[in-house]
Amino acid sequence: MRLGHVIGRVTLSRQDPAYQGGRFLLVQPFGRDQYRGAGMTPLALGNSLVVYDQLGAGVGHVVGFTEGAEATAPFPEPTPVDAYCAAIVDEIFYQPPA
Amino acid sequence: MMVARVDGVIVSTVCHPSMAGHRTIICQPLDEHGREEGAPFLAVDPHAAGRHQRVLVSTDGSHTRAHVGDPRSPLRNLILGVIDEEDARAGR
Repeated sequence: MRLGHVIGRVTLSRQDPAYQGGRFLLVQPFGRDQYRGAGMTPLALGNSLVVYDQLGAGVGHVVGFTEGAEATAPFPEPTPVDAYCAAIVDEIFYQPPA
Repeated sequence: MMVARVDGVIVSTVCHPSMAGHRTIICQPLDEHGREEGAPFLAVDPHAAGRHQRVLVSTDGSHTRAHVGDPRSPLRNLILGVIDEEDARAGR
């Protein structure tokens, strides 16, 4: 699981029925700098990704998401999901060695 | 399995039911010389590893699902044990 900032939403007019009950979020994964402070600026470099969310996360939240085979594990039927929002993070206590 | 250093914890109220009651820590992956390698990630920690301790991390999702007792858990990373600091340094 990795952490990321929710930076946007993706809405679909037509979608696979398996996706009912959730939404798609645009998430920018954390680099090391983002763990030190949970602010949105600066965002980490690198590609953002689309994360399926059933918890109700919104833009500005920090979420924990899983990728790969584990992202499809919560679904009762085989569902094409690459990344799944597993947690909306309240607090990050990050203290790397000085 | 890989070696990582415990750099923190996260707190989450709204999360997948399988995460409730399990400590989730921030792990910094380390290379063979003990240097930081890549961005931190999260793992379930049943061993209450302390800050800056080295831990052995499994990325076996099926074992983690069995550990949390939920076949539909999205969790993958699990702390298998705390590495003895002296032994880890002897390998440098």
